[in-house]
Amino acid sequence: METWKEFEANELTHSAAHHLLAIHELGLEYGGWARVSDIAKELAITRGSVSINLRTLKKRGYVVTDEHRMVKLSAKGLEIVQAVQSKKAAFKAFLVEVLSVSEHQADIDSCKVEHLISRETTERLAEFVEQFKHSQPAHIR
Amino acid sequence: MKSKAELVDELNHLMAEETEAFLRYFQLRYRLRGTDRLAAEGFFDKAMQETLDHATEIAGKIRALGQTPKLEIKLSLGGGPVKLQEALAESLEFEQQALDAYKEFLPHVAGDTMLEDFIRKQIATETEHVQEITMLLE
Repeated sequence: METWKEFEANELTHSAAHHLLAIHELGLEYGGWARVSDIAKELAITRGSVSINLRTLKKRGYVVTDEHRMVKLSAKGLEIVQAVQSKKAAFKAFLVEVLSVSEHQADIDSCKVEHLISRETTERLAEFVEQFKHSQPAHIR
Repeated sequence: MKSKAELVDELNHLMAEETEAFLRYFQLRYRLRGTDRLAAEGFFDKAMQETLDHATEIAGKIRALGQTPKLEIKLSLGGGPVKLQEALAESLEFEQQALDAYKEFLPHVAGDTMLEDFIRKQIATETEHVQEITMLLE
């Protein structure tokens, strides 16, 4: 497959990734459950939009809902969130530790690619950052 | 009771819900395909008019509170042809959310006769919409 088509074929859109991350974060205090209104506030979009987007995520098996319209990540959804978080962390560490990009900018840029880079690249990046840190003199680590 | 600024903020959110619902109905209307498309278009025309009327009313309430409406929506509507059943199921999602939003807002306007009456009326109307769509989906 041509590279640009691979970008289009990505299973998870940026918006979907952020919905899953928001559900994960909001659910931390409530046994994993989050309210549509809180997700909407977190993502600064309407409740209607969240609700429509959740339909797709539910169809794909990433989230489950209850009779009160509360939403929770499924095991598959949680797996996605953990993968996205580790990709973001690895890429951000690379930007900050190796390229000396500011924390703020690194946060923004890592957010842009967090759901797009492969697991292989993530692992290599994390390894590289560790090697880089250990190759530096102790006083600048 | 919330402060005036908080009330206006909530009203802006409700206006965004209604405006977005209008746009969603508009787009769904033209995505509709299938044998019952012609009969269903009337339902979507009515829904478009009602959601726009609701957004207009909310904007009026914001103005009555001495503020100007602030409309913030992030929306990109696509998608291919859709059957009536799917369009209604999608409509039920955002109508239900609008109803929930009005219900959650009601306790915050207790004591403000104008807003309380308005929100109660909206709850009644949205409840009817949700019931109507639910029946159509049965």
